[in-house]
Amino acid sequence: MSEPDAAGAGAAAAVPLAGLFAEADRQLTICNACRYCEGYCAVFPALERRRDLTSGDITHLADLCHDCRDCYTACMYVPPHEFALNLPAALSAVRRDTYDEYLPRVPWPRTRRGAMLAAGLAALAILAVLGFAVGGAGGAGAAAPAAGSPYRVIAYPALVAVFGLLAAWSVVVMALSAARYWRATNGRGLASPAALAAALRQAATLRNLRGGGAGCSYPGDEPSGARRRLHGFVAWGFAACVASTVAAAISQDFAGDPPPYPVLSAPVLLGVAGGAGLVIGCAGLLALRRADGRQPAGDDPAHSDPAREDPALARRGYALLTGLLLLAVSGLLTLVLRDTAAFGPVLVVHLAAVAACFAIAPYTKFMHAVYRFLALVRDRAEIPQKSLAAAAGRRPYA
Amino acid sequence: MSAPEPSPESAPWDVVVIGGGNAGLVAALTARESASRVLLLERAPVALRGGNTRHTRNVRCVHDTGDVYTPGAYTYDELWCDLCAVGDGPADEDLASLTVRESASVPGWMTSHGIRWQPPLTGTLHLGRTNRFFLGGGKALVNSYHRAAAAACVTVWYDRTAEDLEFTEHRCTAVVVSGPGGTERIEARAVVCASGGFEANIGWLRQYWGSAADNFLVRGPATNDGRVLAALYALGAEPAGQERGFHSVAIDARSPRFDGGIATRLDSIPFSVVVNARGERFYDEGEELWPKRYAIWGRNIAGQPGQIAYSIWDSKVNDLFLPPMYGPVAAASVAGVAAELGLDADAVAATVAEYNKAVVAGSSFDPSRLDGCRTDGLTPPKSNWAQPIDTPPFYGIAMRPGITFTFMGVRVTREARVRTVEGGAFRNVFAAGEIMSGNVLSSGYLGGFGLTIGTVWGRIAGAAAARAAS
Repeated sequence: MSEPDAAGAGAAAAVPLAGLFAEADRQLTICNACRYCEGYCAVFPALERRRDLTSGDITHLADLCHDCRDCYTACMYVPPHEFALNLPAALSAVRRDTYDEYLPRVPWPRTRRGAMLAAGLAALAILAVLGFAVGGAGGAGAAAPAAGSPYRVIAYPALVAVFGLLAAWSVVVMALSAARYWRATNGRGLASPAALAAALRQAATLRNLRGGGAGCSYPGDEPSGARRRLHGFVAWGFAACVASTVAAAISQDFAGDPPPYPVLSAPVLLGVAGGAGLVIGCAGLLALRRADGRQPAGDDPAHSDPAREDPALARRGYALLTGLLLLAVSGLLTLVLRDTAAFGPVLVVHLAAVAACFAIAPYTKFMHAVYRFLALVRDRAEIPQKSLAAAAGRRPYA
Repeated sequence: MSAPEPSPESAPWDVVVIGGGNAGLVAALTARESASRVLLLERAPVALRGGNTRHTRNVRCVHDTGDVYTPGAYTYDELWCDLCAVGDGPADEDLASLTVRESASVPGWMTSHGIRWQPPLTGTLHLGRTNRFFLGGGKALVNSYHRAAAAACVTVWYDRTAEDLEFTEHRCTAVVVSGPGGTERIEARAVVCASGGFEANIGWLRQYWGSAADNFLVRGPATNDGRVLAALYALGAEPAGQERGFHSVAIDARSPRFDGGIATRLDSIPFSVVVNARGERFYDEGEELWPKRYAIWGRNIAGQPGQIAYSIWDSKVNDLFLPPMYGPVAAASVAGVAAELGLDADAVAATVAEYNKAVVAGSSFDPSRLDGCRTDGLTPPKSNWAQPIDTPPFYGIAMRPGITFTFMGVRVTREARVRTVEGGAFRNVFAAGEIMSGNVLSSGYLGGFGLTIGTVWGRIAGAAAARAAS
């Protein structure tokens, strides 16, 4: 079998942005005349509220797409049909381009990769200088930190400085990207509590990976709920890890209870649950990705060309999952090994990983969470207005 | 994949089903309930399997109460009346009423074989109560049935074309099949023919339509050439249905010759005026609600010079119907649209001006019902949704007849057995779906009823074939 990913990457890179949008527009226009897929996800009802698509519309629809591929499996116009629809591939190509498009413009570095490298290296440098130069033991105050406390390795003020700085950087770059995205897709509805609540509900339950009830046609063309469940493990695992950090901060700074925390405490329980969720979810999704990559290509007479995600975006998906997996495993190890001599080195690795991830997150596929959530908000905000319009001028066969 | 099948020579199959569309799949699944070895022959490769069923989206069934998918009851009497109101009414009243009666159990059967449903699609307001939409459309339905077939150990062979049936007396003994490995003889105890109509066989259509057939577009695959139907006729099967009976709608003249499916259909007609190549109107565009009339427009256009017609509308109504796949031509004047469409601009402008003058002022335009907005003193009239075409930009699209399927097929008994011209019936050959739709339909069509015929008769034929095989 040929190497479809590599070939696809070359082809995709050769197509200019206008070409990707033109192709998505061609396909979506056929979809809007057909409409068989509107029961699967939010993309099709949103498409049906539009007639002439702008590039902002296409970006919005691309981010609304959760790549469940049910539309591809159900489509009678996929290759070898001459209409040659492959909407999941077309929309993921648009996503890949727009993820870069909305990053804040800086004079240097010019490329996403360069920015990632610069941010990651800067993070590690800051960590090294502030953290390890200042040193651990005793830095947090008068009393020496207990065994198993992170402050034996890195002083508390240094920890706060490094991660506060990196978190602020991450949030600012993400916010700037989000703002650019929001303007470009003519976003509206952030001020609407109803739209926000509905979008949060859809994001929290991954409603758009349900595929009308059957689940995702992924990997392969058999519907399955595995992807939605595994993605839920990742998302909720990540949230639990954030909550664990917050709980630790509260314990220390408000309850005056410094680490290490007992096993039956909020920071440890949340951290363990979150870490386990991330490990299960990331490992599972990586396995699904591998299986998806092994799907037969178009030269297999038994199958039409599978609905491949844009190859560059697929690589970013691998990278994000691998990064999160590394974070989770190193985080769990700091707990398991906190009473051993390995604690220090493991914590250093974990902190370095966290620092690097904070710094490069805005340049990674992590941004799909931001853009997709904004797309959901905009989508939910469209609905009440439109149903009012529909009630005013009932459309018979629209 | 299941265990290797015994070679066809070793033992005859209990039931061989010819055709992998809805009717064939339903017949195979039903036959497998009581027959042990069931083979389904699909002419297409996997990627294109399902025939015309790939392009379907709903099924019209009797239901005495509403539910979330079909809000409101649709009784036997109402469906029967709807069927009587299209074309020349039911072809064979006995078989048609059997079809309508049996339709009531179709949705439950489909659900139990893996079909999922969705609320009525946007833009199909008038179909929501009568027709049940399956999630994802026809290809998703075909995929679900194949999943059920695999679970039930029905054998499916792809890329197989049934060429002929071999008979001993009135009993079929084998199906002659061509495929990638050449021609082979497949022995069968019973055969279900669910191979569709002959709409893609332009030469055959020409026998009844003359050269007009050269201008027909075919909405389904080019493989629907009626090969099995022709073989059955040659073997003495009795024809059923009108030679010119077909389901045909107005589709974009730019559509592919074959297999364009749903996306090429145009729903602008009730909100537009339709002119022929001479720039003259020829039929009441607002005669009835669109789902009750969309199926006559293929035939209407087939009767016009050059088998082409043009729908022309203005910006007031542009958002009231599904956006055309290829987009309309647009111009600042009606004459401009006509010129772009290659029509006599003056003639079309005069037709539209005459129509505009005839529109009766005062009624309230309402696309959701027969609104009585009509013309006065115009021939032919426009009975509903008539508004002056006066607000630029103006739009237009050229349309051709898009043939969905032909009705003329084989006559069957109440248990789907194929009748013969001698007055009897083949002992073990059955038919289901479009190949026997001429027993039910005459010249008109009712949206979603093709799936009903296929499912009802697929079940009847599958069960009867299994009985005949035992």
